[in-house]
This record gives sequence, structure tokens and C-alpha cells, in this order.
Amino acid sequence: MKHLRAVNRKAQRIEEYVAAAQGDFHALQDSRPTRPHYPMGCSIVFSPGWEVDSSGGTAGLCQPVERDLYDCYISCFWPAQVPDHLNNYPGWTSKCASATKDWRNIDLVFP
Amino acid sequence: MRALLVSLLAASTAFAGHVYIGAWQKQIIVFDEDTEKIVDRIQLANDVPNGLMLSNDRKKLFVMNAKDAAIEVVDLQTRKVENQFVLNEGNTRIRFFGMAADPEGKLLYGSSITVTKEIDRFSIGKNRFHVIDLAQKKIVKTHDMPAEDQNAFRRGAGFRVSPDGKYLYVFRDVIKIYDTTDFKEVDKIDLSKPDNPDMERVSFGGGDDPHADPATIISVFNSSDPIVHRNIFGIARFDLNNRRFEFTPVGPTTGGMMGLRLSPDRKRGYTVGMSGSGGNLRYEFIVFDMATKQIVKRQDFPGRTRLSFGISGNGKNLYIYGAGETLELYDSATLMHRKTIDLEADTTTGMVVVP
Repeated sequence: MKHLRAVNRKAQRIEEYVAAAQGDFHALQDSRPTRPHYPMGCSIVFSPGWEVDSSGGTAGLCQPVERDLYDCYISCFWPAQVPDHLNNYPGWTSKCASATKDWRNIDLVFP
Repeated sequence: MRALLVSLLAASTAFAGHVYIGAWQKQIIVFDEDTEKIVDRIQLANDVPNGLMLSNDRKKLFVMNAKDAAIEVVDLQTRKVENQFVLNEGNTRIRFFGMAADPEGKLLYGSSITVTKEIDRFSIGKNRFHVIDLAQKKIVKTHDMPAEDQNAFRRGAGFRVSPDGKYLYVFRDVIKIYDTTDFKEVDKIDLSKPDNPDMERVSFGGGDDPHADPATIISVFNSSDPIVHRNIFGIARFDLNNRRFEFTPVGPTTGGMMGLRLSPDRKRGYTVGMSGSGGNLRYEFIVFDMATKQIVKRQDFPGRTRLSFGISGNGKNLYIYGAGETLELYDSATLMHRKTIDLEADTTTGMVVVP
């Protein structure tokens, strides 16, 4: 529609009305800073042992990092680094109740 | 009258001071608040729980899991699973975004999508309301959500059914109230759940407040004025039966805030405020005087990256847990750390406190 332009006063008033309706006060608004968007949960890298936090760094990860394992897995379906509990490898954690203490008992899966 | 008092006393002592938390693997940990020890581990029939909900009569727990879309009903007196069923069928799986029980504990209302594994792709169904009949062990009614609400529930929402069973309340960026018979929207309230960055679990109604009246919700909400959209937080009180609410502004919204936990005498309210992000994330306890709705105390504490927050049945302890196997106890009077309990299993649900 960019090739159309108002040529009389009534059409110009319509243009001004539409522009005013779409405008807004921005100076006083509270707005949160834009953060990186990760389309597949916390991580976009399919590399075991690699995870980033919601700001793209690692400082916001759980300490120790093993705490993240089950919590992310349940709450956001951590997609890349762990076996697919929902469809294919339901028993991969059956010997490990506490990831921080028992992580050596987690089964390795070789798809 | 005497029989009533005796039965009330029996009911209050039979389940006195226990905390229930879902945990890896397939269990609900029972923590005794008097001895501060784990007294039982209820084994579930299906998979790892990802949601717990208390029935209105406080005698049953409704447990959900992600893998099978299974529902289990646990009797709190016997601590046994008395009913359980799986809702996934064939190649079709169900993903819950929230759940709430009806007043009689016979139906579960919520929202969900279906995910169907086809030969070359996964087909994602529309977001819909569902009604699960616990006796029939199946979904007995679904209703597609309006187009504008299709993506609004993906990060989870809090659900609650009014005690008369007529209305379904959905708490998210706005509060919407639906008729439970036809899921038509009957009201909309421009208050939002406080931001809780990166900590949303699938939300299930009930159990947050150990002494809650089923007809009332008192919690922290955000509000935004229509001109400059300045966000403020305040304390709102909802009467679920007649859809009335009171909102008392407290101050400008900061980083994020968790739900409000009330002392048994309803005089003090506690929440956890968050500011900063990533490695600079900072937590503080915020204490409200509920009569004046004023902040009376704040105290920083070293919270974990993701956490959940609860209060004990007697109001003396504040609980910090989630993302790990430990339960941290803070004194609600001094807001100082008292004790860390090793639950010996990573927690996977919010806690339900039954005083």
C-alpha cells in the first residue's frame, strides 16, 4: 500500500487518525530488555556437556550444574544433551535419584 | 457439636504437619514438619511426577506426570495410590499446561495439547480445555480455546475452580474466568501473575497456601495502567464464587516475584523477590503486614538459580527447594537460614503442605 498517498484533506486526516491510533507513549514505559531467543529450550547446541543460560552465557546455570539436569528435563524438556525420556529411553535415569550425587550411575545411551 | 469437633480434631491431627514433594524416581517424599525428617516415600505407579495438587477436602493428592500424561490419586491417610490411569493413547501424547480439581474431587479441569507422532512428523493439536473424569479414567470433554488464547498457555498457567463449581479461573498475563459448562469466557480481569523469569513449571492449582479457604485466593499480582503502562505490584484478594476482587497497590514492579505465602493467622505474607539475571540474579525475602498491605521486612538470601518457595503449616519455616535434592529451611521471624535437609532425590514438583 506504500504506492498510495493521500491527495485531499479528508484522506490526509484519515492517515493522521490511523497514525495516531497506532502510536503510543514510550518514554515512561517499563520494558524489559530484549533477550536472546532460544527456539529449543535452554540450548541450541547439540553438543554433550554444553548448555547456555537464557542470556547466552553460563553464569546463570545451576550450581553445581548437575542440578540443572533433572529440573530442566522435567520443566522445559531439555532437548539436546539428554536421552529422550518421553519416547525412547525411559530408563536412563533409573539408578540415579539425585543427579548431583549419583550422576555416575546415569546410563549412557548410544543411539 | 461434640462429634463435629472430634472429627475436625481427628482430621487435623491425622495429617498433621506434613510436606509432600514429588521427586525422581516415581516417588512423593513425605516430610514431617515436627521432627524435620523424611518419614515416608510414596511410590507412584507410573513415571516421574511433574505436578501435585491437593483436593479441597485435603484428603487426597492428585499427581500428574509428563511422560504418560498419567493421573494418580494418592490417599493421604494410607499413603497409597488408590486410582491411576494413563491418558496417552497409541501415537498420541498429551501435554498439560495446568490443572485444577472440582470441589468434589471428581473432575480435573485444565488445558492441554495433543502431540501425534505420524510417519514423517509430529502433529501438534490445538490448545484446548479438557475435563478429566477420575471415575471413568478418561477425558470426557474438550473445548478448543479461542484463537487469541492458543499460545497464551504454553508457559503454564494457574487454574482454580470456584467452590460452587461454576467458574474456572485461569491466572496468566491476565485473569480469565470461564463457565465450566461450556467454557465461554464470562469475565476478564487485567491483573497478571508476577514475572517469574525462567522458573515456570507446569502450574497446578491448590496447595500453595496450607491454610487457604477454597473460596478465596490472596496473592501478589501485577497491574499496569492503560496510559503509560507503568507496572505496579500489589496484593489482590479474590472471592471465587462471586467473581469479586480487591487489589491494593504496593509499589513498582521490580525484577520478578514468586507467589504469596500467608502465616496461619493471616497476619503476615511472605514472598521471594528477584532482581538481576544470569550470574547477577539476586533474591530477597519480602514480608508484608497483611492488615496494611505494607512491606515490613526484606532480607537478601543466597538462592539457587531456579527455586520454588513454600511455607510450613505452622508458619515458622520458609522453604526453598527445587532444582536439586535439598530443602532449605529459613526462620520466618528472622529470615535467616536454619537448616538444609537432604531429600536424597531431585525434586520435580511444587510442594503441598498439609497442616
